[in-house]
Amino acid sequence: MKYDETEIRVRFNEVDSWGIVWHGHYLAWFEVGRMALLRKFDLLPQDFTHMGYRAPVVDLKCTFKEPAAVDEEVLIRTTVLQPTKAALTFHFRALRKRDGKLLAAGEETQVLLTLDGRMLYVIPEDLQRKLQPLFDYLGESVSAA
Amino acid sequence: MPEDLILELKKLIIQTLKLEEITPENIEDDGALFGDGLGLDSIDALELVVALEKVYRVVIPDSAVGERVFRSVKTLAQFVMENSSAGGVRAAKAS
Repeated sequence: MKYDETEIRVRFNEVDSWGIVWHGHYLAWFEVGRMALLRKFDLLPQDFTHMGYRAPVVDLKCTFKEPAAVDEEVLIRTTVLQPTKAALTFHFRALRKRDGKLLAAGEETQVLLTLDGRMLYVIPEDLQRKLQPLFDYLGESVSAA
Repeated sequence: MPEDLILELKKLIIQTLKLEEITPENIEDDGALFGDGLGLDSIDALELVVALEKVYRVVIPDSAVGERVFRSVKTLAQFVMENSSAGGVRAAKAS
C-alpha cells in the first residue's frame, strides 16, 4: 500500500532531559502526517464539517523503537487502511532520514458522527465518494461498511 | 422469542468481540449490552453491525437506530427477525 510522506526536523524544545525526542511529540508528528495526506484530498476537519460530519479519534496506539536527537530529520509516512467498518484507521511510521531506521510506529482510529452527535455505522454514500480519491491514491477501495 | 436465534446472537456477539471470558449463559436476554450491562462500547457496536450485516443482511445505519436495537439481545433478535433479508437463513428458521 502506498503512503504519504512528510518531513520533520527535531526542534530543541522537542527533546527531553536525556537529549532524545519526548515520546508525546511523535503523536503530534503523526497528526502533521495525517493532515498533510488529508489536505491533498480536501478531507480536512472543516471539509468533514462542511459535509455535516465529524470524525473524532477514538483509539491511538504508538510503539517506540529508536530514539531521535535534536536537529535530526524524521520522515513521517502515513497511510489509511481500507475501511471494514464505518471508521478510518491511519497507520504511521516515523523513520530517521539519515539511516532509514524506524523510530516509532502508530495507529489511530476515527469514527464518524453527524454534527448532532449521531454515530454512523455505515459510511454514507456522499462520504464514500469523497473518500474514494484518497483510497485510489493509496491503492485501496472504500468498502460498503 | 425464538430461543435458538437468541442463543445464536449471543454466540455472534461473543465471537465478533472476542469476549473470551463470557459464555452465552452469562448474557441475559433482557440485560443491557452497553454501559452497565455487558459493558460494550460504541466501537463494539461498529464491529457488531458489520457481523450482523454479513450473517443476517440487516443494516443498522447509525446510533439512533442502534440504541434501540442494541438495548438487549432480545431487542436485537426482534430487529433481526423483522429486517433480515438473508432469505431467512437463520432468522426464519428460528421463527
